[in-house]
Amino acid sequence: MEDVKNLEEVEVERFSAFDRFVHWLTAIPFVYLFLSGLGMYSPKFAWLLPFLGGREFSAWLHKWAGVVFTIGVLLMFLRWAKDFVLDSDDRIWLANVKYYLKGEEEKLPEAGKYNAGQKLFGWMVFIGGAVFLITGVVMWFPETFSTTFVRLAILLHEITFVVVGAGFIVHLYMGTVGVPGSLSSMITGKVSALWAASHHPKWFREVMRK
Amino acid sequence: MATVTTEGTVGLGLRRVSASKSPDQNIKKSDQLAILVDISSCIGCKGCEAACSQWHDLKPPLFAEEKVFTGYQSGPGLAPSLFMFMRFQEAETEKGLTWFITKYQCMHCSDPGCLKACPSPGAVIQYSNGIVDFDHSKCIGCKFCLSGCPFDVPRYDANNKPWKCNFCVDRVSAGLEPMCVKTCPTNALHFGTKEEMLIRANQLLQGLKKRGFDKAVIYDPPGVGGTGYIYLLPHGDKPEMYGLPKEASISPLISLWKGPVKLIGSVVLWGTLLGAFLQLILFGPIKVGKKHKKEE
Repeated sequence: MEDVKNLEEVEVERFSAFDRFVHWLTAIPFVYLFLSGLGMYSPKFAWLLPFLGGREFSAWLHKWAGVVFTIGVLLMFLRWAKDFVLDSDDRIWLANVKYYLKGEEEKLPEAGKYNAGQKLFGWMVFIGGAVFLITGVVMWFPETFSTTFVRLAILLHEITFVVVGAGFIVHLYMGTVGVPGSLSSMITGKVSALWAASHHPKWFREVMRK
Repeated sequence: MATVTTEGTVGLGLRRVSASKSPDQNIKKSDQLAILVDISSCIGCKGCEAACSQWHDLKPPLFAEEKVFTGYQSGPGLAPSLFMFMRFQEAETEKGLTWFITKYQCMHCSDPGCLKACPSPGAVIQYSNGIVDFDHSKCIGCKFCLSGCPFDVPRYDANNKPWKCNFCVDRVSAGLEPMCVKTCPTNALHFGTKEEMLIRANQLLQGLKKRGFDKAVIYDPPGVGGTGYIYLLPHGDKPEMYGLPKEASISPLISLWKGPVKLIGSVVLWGTLLGAFLQLILFGPIKVGKKHKKEE
């Protein structure tokens, strides 16, 4: 018990200032993109648009928020792509994800700095971001492309919205309520040693060795 | 219930409204209106084109001939300030050199692709008489209507708003014929109910066939539920020579993203939200220290 208490008091840096900046540079435009996109994707949510600055304005800002989001995703890719490579442990982790949801992490392979779920969401953002960018540019300037191409772009943009949107809901939940301590790691950059040891033991040992 | 109405109980009723349910049609009913374009009687004078611009107060762009060769046409095509234009093409047919003339503008589809594709409630409306119109005050400028249109009609202006022929809805509501019809000196344009226009088109078609145009057809594409503009084409086997698609219909890609993708999307997104909530109430947050406590 003594041990546990000490671990709780020790702080470990999880995200550098750059990491946090890049995360929010991507996250803030994404929230706007998600909500304004939802308002345009589904007429049932068209009421969201007046709250985002007006119907016409939100459709306009959606495009520019997309530009900022793209820059964020690009920086994220450069920063994290190498850390998000899935290994064999990750595949076992994903196959047994039910233990994670039940809060029985000890039954899963030990996670490094990022667990398989986080890595997977990272790739959803990277690939989704690329699809959003390409199809978004086509939708922005439809007169420059063939009509069939524009129609296909809208379809792909919407499918990607559904996939990345679902991933975002999970990410938002896990980052706040689902895994207590995660949100402050993206704000202060620090987590307790206990948090690190129980959620990311492999990473924790690496940090301790240093 | 539709979220949008225009002109209260006085004006034209609405049949379809973009991104909204269709209003009830039982209170006000109107006949479907149509313009019949009898190409065989058209002399290509472009009077309708001039009249259209005059009535709508438009100043269509002037094209320097050396820039774009458009032949006998006024310009290369539709523009935000050009709602209709006469299209001319020459080709050899079995009848010798043929001049293919068409009056080209919004077709006023019975099942409008622009309206289907539009995500903004009320930005595209179809009146109960079949006229398809845009409401710029509700348009968000997304340009989806361009993808919806099987005829490549809407044109966006510098304010990011689309323009097209509105069938002179103002004149029609006041009991007048559309401006192009009013102007046509050879009676190539006929205006009335769709039913009447089809009967007239059939009579004209018989006449054309007697004159040796066996391939003449009435162009009223069923893929979009028929159109408000119907054409009598003397060379019906070559609609593309008139600049009209052989089989006009709303792209299946649009039906896909307006139908199944929306449904699957709702299930996936709401399902994910529900899943996260269930995780919370069934297992609770994934906290630290559980493992350590168990080990004690």
